[in-house]
Order: sequence, then C-alpha cells, then structure tokens
Amino acid sequence: MRTRVLGKTVGYVVLAVASIGLLLPFFWMVISSLKHNNDVFTVPVQWFPSPVVWHNYIEIWQRSDMTTWLRNTLLLAVVVTVLQVFTGSFAAYGFARMRFPGRDILFLAYIGTMAVPWQSYMIPQFVLMSKIHLNDTLWSIIALQAFGAFGVFLMKQYFESVPESLNEAARIDGLSEYGIWRRIMMPLSIPAIASLTLLTFVNTWNDYLGPLIYLRSAQNWTIQLGLKTFISQYNAEYALIMTGSVLSVLPIAVIFLLGQRYFVEGIASTGVKG
Amino acid sequence: MATVVTDDRISTERRSPRRSRPGRALARRNTLIGWTFILPNFVGFALLTLVPVIVLFYMSFTSWNVFGKAPWVGLANYTRLIDDKSFHTAFLNTLYYAVIHIPLTLVAALALALLLNRKMRGVTFFRTVAFFPYITSIVAIAFVWNMLFSPKYGPINQFLGLLGVEHGPGWTVSAQWSMPAVLIVGTWREMGYYMLLFLAGLQTVPAELHEAARVDGANPWQRFWNVTMPCLRPTTFFVTVMLTIGSFKVFDLILVMTNGGPGQSTLVLSQYIYQKGFGEFQFGYASAISVVLFLLCIVVTIFQFLWNKRRES
Amino acid sequence: MKRTIPAAIGIAAAASLALTACSGSSDASGGSSPTGPVTITVSGWSLATTPEFQTLADAFHAKDPNVTVQLKEYDPAQYTTLITADLAAGKAPDIVTQKEVKNVSVFQSGGQLMDVSDVVSKLPKDVSGTSSYKIDGKYYGVPYRQDSWVLFYNKDLFDKAGVKYPDGTWTWDDYATAAKTLTTNLKGKGSKALGTYEHSWQSTLQGFANAQSPGADILSGKFDYLKPYYERALGLQSAGAQVDLGTITTNSLTYQAQFGKQQAAMMPMGSWYVATLISQQKSGDADTFKWGFAPAPQLDSSTTGLDKTPVTFGDPTAFAINANIDKSKVAAAKEFLTFAASEEAATDLAKIGITPSITNDSVAQTFFSVAGAPTDDLSKFAWTKHETHPENPTSSKTASVQTILNDLHTAVMTGSSPIDKAIKDAQDRFKSEVGS
Repeated sequence: MRTRVLGKTVGYVVLAVASIGLLLPFFWMVISSLKHNNDVFTVPVQWFPSPVVWHNYIEIWQRSDMTTWLRNTLLLAVVVTVLQVFTGSFAAYGFARMRFPGRDILFLAYIGTMAVPWQSYMIPQFVLMSKIHLNDTLWSIIALQAFGAFGVFLMKQYFESVPESLNEAARIDGLSEYGIWRRIMMPLSIPAIASLTLLTFVNTWNDYLGPLIYLRSAQNWTIQLGLKTFISQYNAEYALIMTGSVLSVLPIAVIFLLGQRYFVEGIASTGVKG
Repeated sequence: MATVVTDDRISTERRSPRRSRPGRALARRNTLIGWTFILPNFVGFALLTLVPVIVLFYMSFTSWNVFGKAPWVGLANYTRLIDDKSFHTAFLNTLYYAVIHIPLTLVAALALALLLNRKMRGVTFFRTVAFFPYITSIVAIAFVWNMLFSPKYGPINQFLGLLGVEHGPGWTVSAQWSMPAVLIVGTWREMGYYMLLFLAGLQTVPAELHEAARVDGANPWQRFWNVTMPCLRPTTFFVTVMLTIGSFKVFDLILVMTNGGPGQSTLVLSQYIYQKGFGEFQFGYASAISVVLFLLCIVVTIFQFLWNKRRES
Repeated sequence: MKRTIPAAIGIAAAASLALTACSGSSDASGGSSPTGPVTITVSGWSLATTPEFQTLADAFHAKDPNVTVQLKEYDPAQYTTLITADLAAGKAPDIVTQKEVKNVSVFQSGGQLMDVSDVVSKLPKDVSGTSSYKIDGKYYGVPYRQDSWVLFYNKDLFDKAGVKYPDGTWTWDDYATAAKTLTTNLKGKGSKALGTYEHSWQSTLQGFANAQSPGADILSGKFDYLKPYYERALGLQSAGAQVDLGTITTNSLTYQAQFGKQQAAMMPMGSWYVATLISQQKSGDADTFKWGFAPAPQLDSSTTGLDKTPVTFGDPTAFAINANIDKSKVAAAKEFLTFAASEEAATDLAKIGITPSITNDSVAQTFFSVAGAPTDDLSKFAWTKHETHPENPTSSKTASVQTILNDLHTAVMTGSSPIDKAIKDAQDRFKSEVGS
C-alpha cells in the first residue's frame, strides 16, 4: 500500500512536469492571441501579455464567416467519422475473421496505399473527382476521408485480439456472421471504436490540404481553410493567426475530454454485460 | 464469460476449426460473406484511392508533366534515381529520421499510455494534455519550437547556458543539429497520438491475468513483459506499422520547421517528391520516387508482419 | 481476386486522364468579336487585400459593358498547386494569371496557354516585362504589373544617425559602409535599430547578383558571380549591421515589421512594399516616420548616378489565356489583356499603389500623388527609370536551378557551408541534376 502511494506521488510529479512541456506551445499560442501583433515576437519572450488584448477574438468573429465554417466542419467530421467507423469496422471483420483467397493481398493493398504520399497522386485523384462532379462539394471531402485504410487496419488489429472462441460459441448459438459483428465484436471493441472516432474526427477537423484543393467556394469552406484564408489576407498578422489557431483547437479539446471516458469504461462494462 | 476470455487468451494456439472442415460450397460461402463485409469500404477505397495510386504507378514509367500526354520512358526515371545525389541525400535523411523517430516515439507513447491507464484523479486532464500537441496547429508548433530553438535568444540555449554549455547548438539553423531538432518536435508531437492507440489496446488486457500473475509473485516488470506485452501485440503491430509509414512519409512538420534546410540537411523523400512534382513539374520522376517510398514501406511492413507472426506462434 | 482487373482499370484510367488534359489545345487562334454579353473568368488571390483584380475588372466592364469579368479567388501561398490541379482537370478560368514567371514555360509546353502574340504586337512601346512571356518567338502572356526592387530607407533614422540619404550613386560597397555607420551611430544615440534589413529570401541577394553581374546566367551552371554578394551580406551579419538569417527564420521575423516598426534604417525590397507601407502607416500597424526609396545599389559606378539607368530585378505579373477557353470568349479575353496593359489601366493601378507595367511620367504622377507616398525626386527617379531584369529566366530548367540555389543560400547564410564550397556543390548538382 505504501509503495502504491509513493508510486502515485511520483507519477503525479512526472505528469505535472510533462504537462508543462506539452502545453507550453499551446500556452504561448493563447498569450500571443491576447497581444498586439507587434508584441508577438520579442526578445526576450514576453510570457504574460500586457495589456491583455481581446480585440483579436472580436475581429475574427465579426469579420469572418465563422458560423458557416463551423457548420461545414462539424457536418463533415460527423459524416466522415460515422462512415469510417461503420465501413472500416465492417471491412475489418472480413479481414480478421473470414478466410478467402486473395484476402491478404487485398489487405496489403490497403496498407500499401497508406505508404504513398498523397501529394504524388493528388492530381489523378483530383481529375477523377472532377469527372464524377464531386469537386467543390462537401461530398468530395467525405469521399476522400471516409474510406481510408486507417480505420480498417485499426479495427482489424483490435478484432484479432478478441478470442476466436467467442465467434465459435456464437455460431453454435446460431448467430450469423453479421450478427456476430454487431452483437459481439462491436460491443467488445468500444475502446477501439472510441479511439478511431476521436482520431478520425480530429483528422477531419484539422485537415487543411484536402479542403484547400477540393473546396473552392466560400460557402463550402471548413474552419481550417476559412481561418487560414482569412488570415492570409492579413499578411504576417501573427496575433490573429494564433487567435484562429486557439479557436480551432478548443472544440477538439472539448470533444476529446468528453469522449475519452470510453477508454476506461469500455471493456469493463461490456465484460459485465457479457 | 470473463474467464472464458482469459483462458483462450493464454492459449497461443490460433488454429481455426473452420479450416479443417472440407467443402467447396463452404469456401465459396465464406468468400461471399467476406466480400460483403469488405465491399462497402472497398468501393470507396478502390475508386478514390486505389485507382489514383495505380495511375501513379503507371506514370512512374512516363515523363508526365501533369498536362498533356505522358510519353512512356520505360525505366528511365528509375535509372536516373541511381545517380541523383539529392535523392540519395533525401533517402538517407528519411532513414535517419525513421530509425530514431520510430523507437523513440514507440517507447514514449507506450510509457505514457501505461502511466495514464489507471484510475486516478485528473487522468482525463493529463490524457487530454498529452494529446494537445497533436491537435495544436502545426504552424503554431513550428513558430513556438523555432523560437524555443533560436540559437541566440531561445530559452533552450539559455537553459543550456545555465548548465554551463557555452555555445549551445544552432538547432534548426545548423546543418548538424537541424535533424535532431526536427526529431525532438516530431516525437513530442506524435507520442500523444500513439498513446491513444495504446490506451485502447491496454483495455484488452484482462485484469484477472494481472491478478493471477501477482499471486504467482511476479514483479511489475515481469508482469509487463509476460502479461501486458503479449496481450498488446496486435496494437503494437498496428502502431509500429503506422509509425513506420508515418516516419517515412514525414512532410508537413519538416516543411514548416526547416523547409529541408539549411542546405539539404533535412530534405526528406516526401518533400523531394513535392519539389520535383509541384515545384519542377517532373511528375513522372516524382511518381518514381513515390514508388520507391512505397516499396520501402511495404518491405519494412512485410518484415514486421512476418516478425509479428513468428512472435505470435 | 484476379490480378489483371485492377491493372486494366488503372491503365484505362491513366490513359483517359492523360487524354482529357490535352484536349482542346488546338483551337488556339482566332475567335470572333463578342456580339452578345460575355462573361470571362479571371484567377486572382487574396481579393480583399489585393484590390488590383477588382479594379481592373470594374474598369474594363465600364469600358465595355458587354463583357463581365468574374474573379475566381485562389489561396496566394498555394496558387501554383491549385491552378495546376484546375488546369489538369480542365476547370481553370478563362484567363490564368501568371503569378510566377518560372512556371510559364511549363504551362506553355503543356499546351495550356494560348498564343497572344497579336495582342502583344499592338501594345504601347513602354510596356515592360513582355520578354518573360516569349517562348520560341511567340508570346503567351501580357504583363500588367512589373515590380522592381529598390532600396527603402527611413529618413528619420538617417537624420538621427547623421548619415546622408542615398543619392542614387550608391554601389553595394557604399551601401554596406552606410549600413555599418548607421548601426554604430544609432547605437550611440540609444536606438536599437540596425543599419539594414535583408529578408531571408534567396532573391534578396541572388536577384541582384543575377541582374547586375556581367554575363551572369543561372542556366549556365556557373555561380562564381554570387561570391562578392554573399561575402558582403555575411560581412554585414557579422558586423551586426543586419539581423542574421538564423534569427530571422527562428523568430519568424517579417520584413513589414522590421522596416515598418523602425528596426532597420534601410531595406532592399520590391516596389509592392510601397502600397503596404502606406496602408500600414495609415492603420497604425507601422510607425509614423518619413521614408523614401532610392535606386537599388549597383555592382559598380558604371550604372550609378541620375544620368544613368540603374540595373535591378523583379518579376512581372501577367494575364494569360487558357488554351481551353470557349471559342466565343477569345475576343473578349484578348480585349481584356490589351486593356490591362494600357496606360489607362496603369493609371488605375497606380492609384491603388500598384506598380504597373507602364511606369512613364504621367503614371508616376498618379502613383506619387497617393496620400502617404513619398514625394522626393529620388523616389520618382527610382520608380520610373530602371533596367529591370526578370528574376527568373523563362525556361523549363529554371525551377530546378532555383531549388539548388535556394539550398546554397540557406547553407551559406547560416554558416553551415563556406561560400566556395557551397558554390562548388551547387555547380556539381547543376551538372548532375539539370545538365547543360
């Protein structure tokens, strides 16, 4: 018991020190957003803004079309995440639990495409998208992000850590493969689904290059694209840049805080149910 | 139920009973069901990713410049790579980055996940903090770290000065230290991301196993190696492969931090591909470099795959 | 899975992708004059803070109400990538603004630009920068804007340091001496400002070296001529008369703040900064101080003095016509190109602080009558009289050479590599990567 207390104390100290190191750039981002533009880069670093300038936040809200951007981004992030989790885990079951010829080659193709830098096949993809008339619609980003190999790979690995004997037992009970996927595998994989959901959501939220290439009309802009475009008109206004960065991070942080309780609760609760 | 799970997990035998059952009809049925599972994802994947990637493979044998025709040049792009010193530099720099970044991030992420995989006050906060570098805008990260690294006025070198280091390294403005600087930031940024994946994996480790090992008198280190690590193997494999691919493809971090410089000291393959493609419009040649990068990742991944299989059995 | 299927799909897709990109490039010439109302699209960037596009569009529409000019906005930093993707997909606007000269030959050889020699042949004689769009005797763009690099200086800081203003006779050595004197004297007066600020871009140094050194040509693969320019810059860095490149990049210094907030008494910069500085002084982003600009310092005294023409550099910006434009719009598009390079358009541009491709005395009068613009004769001289070489030669090799020279620039300026070794490395890379 005593070692546990000691361990806990040491753990807290380590975590506290690490937190400072991890949050320092974010902290700097926040204070820079509360400064006048020409006070952002100073020698030595000014860690506390004086005076505190709220003007940047007001300026961004008033002069940019933040509501449209937030709506688009939220829509994209939700749709992409739902599709990615659903199709990804569905395909993952096929890869993890079904045996059929060509399966491994196909899976290697999935992983292989992840190894190709997007910039190098961006143009063929763009031409293809414009042929099926998806350019400059929110559909293009959904199509681009929702069927990635990442979710398939992540869920497959997780499914493989679920014992196969469970499947066998369920089959004997007369459950179809689809039923096993829905009733057994998915509930057991809540931590994996939670992390896939969070990561997909974050990646869609923070994606800049995809929206930049595909979403040209202002009514389709996402938060990242909108903020960067808005800021790029104000050449080298770093205080404003940091304000935009803070604003785009905050929603993610909230969602992350809310979502991660599923990591601890995942297996424990389903174990009881099972 | 839980005990069934545990028992099965201990047994390392993963032989499927289905395979022993003969019958073509069954095999066909399995194939059919397997494909129905994969199809919804595969349709989107094949059309929007696989086809463009195959086009890219084809283009690596041409002198395509984006516009107009793409004349077939056979292996000319690949033979050109042999003598291209910048390609060699980029290749070696990429290896340099990957060889250090992969183990460093793997260990850091796992340690962080173990540390944060317990019920304690404030754990939610700490996990969020660990994930912050990944969600913070990369431009802001580059600004802040570049400033921290500033050789003359940066806090890092000022701190080193307190420790008695007279002339701290030049970091991002020195050819020797620019890569270590990028490595530090790369690991700092990504460990929270991989921590999250490890955290999910750690939930599959049954508490009963730990309890049993504790009763048997195993110390924490032994329990880590004999209980946690084996259960975590699918996750570790996933993280290693993702980390490998991510390291070989490292791009935006370098672009915003050093832009490949000073000189070519941090030029990496992805950036070279971008330079040759969108900078110089040699898309055929850029495609060939992409194929090399692809092969590099695939070879390493297959090696990891086989190693994983061997450890499993 | 049958292995042949995806391969077949891939090759078919590749073939079709390659084909669509080049279709329609044959109908380049001619076009009847517009009868009904026509709308032409023009690519631009940062429209809210780059008013030149809207100014030209409105002025043209007022002149010919039949033609409406619609602007298509692009991200300025990613302009080349985006316009490339649009051209490849056949979705680019009718008029493709040429932001960077180094890409012109790629677009041209890819069959994306229409021959506009007939427009160029009818342009007024004093339009500068057309040669940058000439490939194999034909013209593929009409420059409406031609920035040139000049030397900005802060008169207040010069007065404070007791140093005489530039007078148009400066060589680079005079400039370096002045920078050092300014630094010392300003320090003596308790000011933190340095003598000069040279921004981190490679062109800040190489642009002048390429334009002024006799026989210099980046496509020759010989870069010895860069040496004196780098030695001078390194000398200024080590003397503390200018911020070193490491500090500029690690602290993300901006040239607008360095000169606008009086951190430096001089700054070589493109003439676009005139409009920026005027508006920043108005908005309070920049301090209020008296300033002017002088001709860029010269290599030697053969081109200095008010009776000579100073040599400097700067890339023009031009409108080019998309080769895939609808035939019925060709005449309207050519009319727009002609208008954009006219003296009338030049006057409109000068009113908003843009340096147009025509900088004769009457346009200059408009330019300098803007509130906040400098009024001294030397600024007017620097703006109107110059031999401006293009920053980049129009060649398919330019982009590759610029990459090599940028690596040389960062290596030398950070002290990672001695100048002689860096030049030798660059020449070796030129031989193996670019060829002769």
